[in-house]
Amino acid sequence: MTQAPSSASAVKPIIEVRGLGKNFVLKRSVFSRPLVQIRAVDNVTLSLMPGETLAIVGESGCGKSTLGRLLMRLIKPSTGEVFIDGQNVTNISHAEMRQQRRHVQLIFQDPYASLNPRMTIAQTIAEPLMLHNIVPAGQRAKRVAELLEMVGLRPEQANRYPHEFSGGQRQRVVIARALAPEPKAIICDEAVSALDVSIQAQILNLLKDLQNRLGLAFVFISHDLGVVKHIADRVAVMYLGKVVEIGASDEIFSAPRHPYTRALLSAIPVAAPPSHQRSRAARLHGDLPSPLSPPQGCRLHTRCPHARPECKTVSMKLDVEASGHANACAFWRDLPAQDGTEGVREPRNPKLEKLFVAFEAMAARSAQTVKGG
Amino acid sequence: MSTSQNILHAPSARSVRADDAVPSVLDVSNLRVVFEGDTRTVTAVDGVSFSVKKGRTLAIVGESGSGKSVTSLALMRLLPEHTARVSGNVNFDGRQLLTEPTSTMRSLRGNRLAMIFQEPMTSLNPSYTVGEQIKEVILRHRQMSKKEAAERTIAMLRLVRIPSPETRYHQYPHNLSGGMRQRVMIAMALACDPELLIADEPTTALDVTIQAQVLELMRELQQKTGTAIVLITHDLGVVAESCDDVIVMYAGQVVEQCSVEELFTFPQHPYTVGLLGSLPRLDEKRERLAAITGTVPDMANPPAGCRFQARCPFRINKCAEMPALMEVSQSHFSRCWRAPMEDLVP
Repeated sequence: MTQAPSSASAVKPIIEVRGLGKNFVLKRSVFSRPLVQIRAVDNVTLSLMPGETLAIVGESGCGKSTLGRLLMRLIKPSTGEVFIDGQNVTNISHAEMRQQRRHVQLIFQDPYASLNPRMTIAQTIAEPLMLHNIVPAGQRAKRVAELLEMVGLRPEQANRYPHEFSGGQRQRVVIARALAPEPKAIICDEAVSALDVSIQAQILNLLKDLQNRLGLAFVFISHDLGVVKHIADRVAVMYLGKVVEIGASDEIFSAPRHPYTRALLSAIPVAAPPSHQRSRAARLHGDLPSPLSPPQGCRLHTRCPHARPECKTVSMKLDVEASGHANACAFWRDLPAQDGTEGVREPRNPKLEKLFVAFEAMAARSAQTVKGG
Repeated sequence: MSTSQNILHAPSARSVRADDAVPSVLDVSNLRVVFEGDTRTVTAVDGVSFSVKKGRTLAIVGESGSGKSVTSLALMRLLPEHTARVSGNVNFDGRQLLTEPTSTMRSLRGNRLAMIFQEPMTSLNPSYTVGEQIKEVILRHRQMSKKEAAERTIAMLRLVRIPSPETRYHQYPHNLSGGMRQRVMIAMALACDPELLIADEPTTALDVTIQAQVLELMRELQQKTGTAIVLITHDLGVVAESCDDVIVMYAGQVVEQCSVEELFTFPQHPYTVGLLGSLPRLDEKRERLAAITGTVPDMANPPAGCRFQARCPFRINKCAEMPALMEVSQSHFSRCWRAPMEDLVP
């Protein structure tokens, strides 16, 4: 797979954040003193190594998109520090930040809204080349053609407008634009959520191919754990602005520690025959509490199936294991063991697996004949 | 029960009636919806037939543009009459829904036929309390005093497990969370004990933990009331967890029809195989997903023959001819010349 951050001493993280927090002020007094604040992101520390994919998952309102914007320093953190490529960018000027942005690019959920309808896709993709003065004007058209090919579009489509493309193709254009300034990392904020499953798979495959080819790092923000499982090396799970669990993807999916992670996993509907559905692990009850006044103590205690009286007062400090896996449940060692691993079993019919293999093999063969002819 | 005139669609009608004696609530045969624009004509739904039985849930699954939502709107007669030409037979309890006068449809909708949409915020009126909106439905269709209707409204809110329903009755939609709004929609839809509930992507806008709660609630209420449900979704996981029968739609046509158990055990149409294969799975990590190449055909001029052929790895010369929806095994239908798929496995 990708280079694990094992030789951490030699390899520097591309993005590193320490004690990051962001407050949004909802209401001010007459003297513009903040009266009501919302802690969208609260004391988050993490790092992104070259070539790795870090996923940030959580439900709506958990602060994952705000965290994504903080990682790029599109917004200024209220507390904590952001390092991009070793440089502290927390307080640098706007002009300097623009230079830095070349290294970290962003892809949004809605490819319809993130392309300018009045620009051809060639103009759109050439814009970062021009802004950062990466490629001399004479060679830009050639570079745009290369980028289009890289994302699986035909160079002759360069002079078309966004409305002439389907959703999946537009997302490819957005990816080409993000690749144009030769970034080291791309932050994908729900980049495949708006796409149909079959198109979603195409884009996920493309992102993986690009990562293998260019050694890119991804921060993959998503609410879809199936997608995350497929693409991520490490996963951070957020709830109400806090990271509640962070660790290697395999660990998160095979042995989730935190009750919230377990509940998220067991809530995903699985495409398996009803006779083979897994047993329901303990589910969360109720709704997300208002982020304006998050519960005291552990923020999950109002919905947690394993809550006990002490949970109202415990702190949500991350308990870091030797492997680096960390979670914020104070009592995770006492939780029933089986309900974590039960959550992800998906039995399949062996005959059906063979059919999938046949489907893929035939698809690959026909793709080759198309290219050859 | 209407018998289908079209030989192509006869088997589908038989399939759902053959096995047991549960009466079907809704019979749709050969439904076609054509949108006529100034410059082009689009056949959004092309000869769709199915039945829904009492107490069962039928899933209509497909990707965007496959015609699944248009099918449901056509059943409810909610498509604009001046642009959409709807033909075929929709039999609901002995009535032909497509030919009923508008006044009859109005007294059926919300009463015996109910519908839930994807986005609960746009389906609720922001300037009335949720209690008033549910009460309005009850007063329109039932002979009840306002007081009785208000009591029934609170009972309905309690039924869909809204905490402190007496307080929530007087609140506005913006006071409620997304999951709670969708529960209000369900309470409103079920207020008059409908025989048929059409739910168009009811959980798509919700988070997974809330989605699980809402689906479980719908399941439970169905067991209590025996309502037949048509659940329209693009999420195969939702189909597997909460439905009994399923039709898979592609480019306006039914390409596969069977029980949910059979669909996930062994699908019989290449499109379904591709869809299942392209789902990222939780229990294993594959290097690449089996994506279906290409995109859906332009519905203004669909290709001759099988509509999936351009994206199908199993295509043969015969695919230039349109296959019928054929019975592959006992009440399992597929619109594919290569079915049964068992023959394609080495």
